[in-house]
Amino acid sequence: METVNEQNREMTAQESLGLISEMLNSSRRGILRNSARYFILWGILLVVLSLVIYELWHVTGSPKWNLLWFAMPAIGFPLSRLLDKKKTEVPQNVVSKQLHYVWLAYCVFAVAISAVALFTVPMNITLLIVVVLGFAETVSGILLKNWPIIIGGFVLGVGGAVVAMLLTTEAQLLIFTLGGLILVVTGLIVKSQYK
Amino acid sequence: MFPKLDTLLHSELRLAVMSILAEVDKAEFSYLKKQTGATSGNLSVQIDKLNAAGYISVEKGFKGKMPCTSCKITQKGTEAFENYVNALKEYISAGK
Repeated sequence: METVNEQNREMTAQESLGLISEMLNSSRRGILRNSARYFILWGILLVVLSLVIYELWHVTGSPKWNLLWFAMPAIGFPLSRLLDKKKTEVPQNVVSKQLHYVWLAYCVFAVAISAVALFTVPMNITLLIVVVLGFAETVSGILLKNWPIIIGGFVLGVGGAVVAMLLTTEAQLLIFTLGGLILVVTGLIVKSQYK
Repeated sequence: MFPKLDTLLHSELRLAVMSILAEVDKAEFSYLKKQTGATSGNLSVQIDKLNAAGYISVEKGFKGKMPCTSCKITQKGTEAFENYVNALKEYISAGK
């Protein structure tokens, strides 16, 4: 970006508005580009964990490996904190804060649904979580004004729910692998949209 | 009669700082320096002027062992910035 002239010379009205617009846009682009890293981080984590659990379940025949899902926030949040510890902290704006809260709400829903289904009322966890995951992805797309992300979230949520009814519980884990890949692609789209 | 432009904001560096702070919750000194490309000395002086006018609040703390200064736009600053932008628009529309 251009360096601001440090001399206090008189600016015309157009120059002043141009400077305001440039600063706002540059700051906004940088903040949203920064949020791409979190989509990529959580996407990779989702892909790896779903494949690991799938493989362990497949080899041992025990669905108890699903308890490893609870490791996801335990690994993901410290890694997110590590990403935050940059030399120059990128501030938050309205959109990045809304994205943060949407995904925090998704995380709370996913953990709560899983806990209820595992320990009290049995239900199709995959179906419920994939719908919430797709919904969070679509809301992110709306906030970022990006149609591919909106459509990706819809396909993941609705398509994933239909597929979850057709697959065996073990194979349903692969829906989350796809979900993780969609998150990684979302991060790459955001990165290129705001470069 | 044109509205009078706020002389405090009618300076490139101070206006750049206020524009950035209008978009974000708060920003560290190092972020403002990176975004504006200004020197530390000049940026410090301009931040002090905005702080003295009550347009921004400055918080000095530590990030680990390193000193860290954060700036945040105040309600008074937001109003001044909005008035300044509206005045600019009036100037431009009158010139058309």
